[in-house]
Amino acid sequence: MSDASTPLSIEVTDVTVAYTNGNVALRDTTFSLHSGTVCALVGVNGSGKSTLFKVIMGFLKPAKGTVRIGGRPVKEAQKRNLVAYVPQSEEVDWTFPVSVWDVVMMGRYGSMNFLRIPREEDRRIVRESLERVGMSEYKDRQIGELSGGQKKRVFLARALAQRGRIMLLDEPFTGVDVKTETAIIDLLEELREDGHIILVSTHNLGSVPEFCDRVVLVNRTVLASGPTAQIFTEENLAKAFGGVLRHFKFDHTDLPGSARNEVLLLSDDERPLLLGQDGAPKRSGVGTKTGPLVEDSRK
Amino acid sequence: MMESLLVPFQYEYMVKAILLSGLIGAVCAFLSCFITLKGWSLMGDALSHAIVPGVAVASILGLPFSLGAFVAGLLAAVGMGWVKHRSRLREDAVIGVVFTTWFALGVLLLSVFPSSINLRTIIFGNILGISDQDIIQVICIAGLSLGVLLVKWRDLLVYCFDASHARSLGMNTTFLHFLLLALLSATAVAAMQTVGAVLVVAMLVTPGATAYLLTDRFGRMILLATGMGLFCGIAGAYASYFLDGSTGGCIVVLQTVLFLLALVLAPKHGLLAARTRRREARAVAGALAPSTAKGSQPPSSSISA
Repeated sequence: MSDASTPLSIEVTDVTVAYTNGNVALRDTTFSLHSGTVCALVGVNGSGKSTLFKVIMGFLKPAKGTVRIGGRPVKEAQKRNLVAYVPQSEEVDWTFPVSVWDVVMMGRYGSMNFLRIPREEDRRIVRESLERVGMSEYKDRQIGELSGGQKKRVFLARALAQRGRIMLLDEPFTGVDVKTETAIIDLLEELREDGHIILVSTHNLGSVPEFCDRVVLVNRTVLASGPTAQIFTEENLAKAFGGVLRHFKFDHTDLPGSARNEVLLLSDDERPLLLGQDGAPKRSGVGTKTGPLVEDSRK
Repeated sequence: MMESLLVPFQYEYMVKAILLSGLIGAVCAFLSCFITLKGWSLMGDALSHAIVPGVAVASILGLPFSLGAFVAGLLAAVGMGWVKHRSRLREDAVIGVVFTTWFALGVLLLSVFPSSINLRTIIFGNILGISDQDIIQVICIAGLSLGVLLVKWRDLLVYCFDASHARSLGMNTTFLHFLLLALLSATAVAAMQTVGAVLVVAMLVTPGATAYLLTDRFGRMILLATGMGLFCGIAGAYASYFLDGSTGGCIVVLQTVLFLLALVLAPKHGLLAARTRRREARAVAGALAPSTAKGSQPPSSSISA
């Protein structure tokens, strides 16, 4: 199956995707990822993040350009169970009569014979995967009886059980408690050490520098891609988010004569709460009476 | 007393009807688990009506009825898929338009070209008067469908639950989609013989819906539904002898009775269980904070954190 010796890579070259109604979702998209990376896919809603996922998983055929995984076509990667996908919670029917164990076992189906009867090894892998995400004690629960964070961890366990060396996570931190978020980040770092390629679509800008070593910024095409430190700049983010991005400048300078000490807060669609010097909430983050403590310059 | 209960078994046509109804009931019920979970109930209704013109054409041309019905069902399904993909209409509107057109076409054909099959038989079924040739066709269809389901049920489950995941495992989801459609058409053809085109949808939905209320495990859901389909087929056909009523009517009414029982009495998802849970929640909330009684909780989320 997925032998660890073959070098792993995703190469998206000059990909253009058009839907049947004529909308072009992605144009001339190019980037590449190599073994042992956690990469954030950042962009506004409708910027083509999910389209890019679908292309990498082979659900959509690009009108132009190629996607190669480990130097081979996507179809082959699929057959070898290389790419695992962790869906958004809204995509799943939580009333479905399946248990946590059943869902994780579904990750093993690709390596079973055509009757899909689990062997002892499959059961062992499912047990290990559940343990790794800390969900062993919930294995007999119906999936609808879990909290948001637990649900997410079950689908992570399924991806682990699939033993895909490339993992695509769609907005893994929405509706998730802080404990789960830390657990997911720890797990992704372990997987990076093992040489996996993890691609995480997110609009949670704050957490990106914490756990992603690379970033791909998208808005109908790849605006920039590379190491986080180089790509995650105010200028690039402004390009990716346009008017949606909020800038908040905090002046921490102590004395008028000392060096300026400013902190810039960038946020996309979520509004941070800001309190003025007197402790009163500030409307739309723009300082009024107490002076321009905070400057909201929506570009 | 005992002897009069055994009377139906003295007639060969009754024995055939009872066994055949049980077989068809079981196969339809097995499939109904997928239909209810995939949300294809309306599709089942549509296909069971859409097979009528196929039966008409087959009887006019002297071909086996099941072949015509199967082809007509698949054509209707493909037609619906095509119109939905190409137009801005919602799925229910597309299904409504396509299946009534197909059904009307069948009614028209049968009335213009009178043939060996009459309209009543197709619409209401006639298991008591089924010919040996038709019995063989029905057994072949039911057996084949059952075999495919037994081999492929896990794949179909993954496809119904999470099609994206199924694809990432390398499964051919287009194939699974059409397999499910083909199974639906095939079982609808078989069930048409027993309960008629109008009531086929009940056989393809009710057992699955009932079992879904009774369990949270898919394997158990299949067993419960199939057992119920088998039992209702046999018992319904048997009861119709004493009631001197329509076999299809008896089978479907019996299924509905079981459904209503499950709806009220199901241990976890039944109405009574939900009411008890609401009461308990109110009592707990009342004990904790009498002034801010929280009221009812939705039944299914009572355990989630």
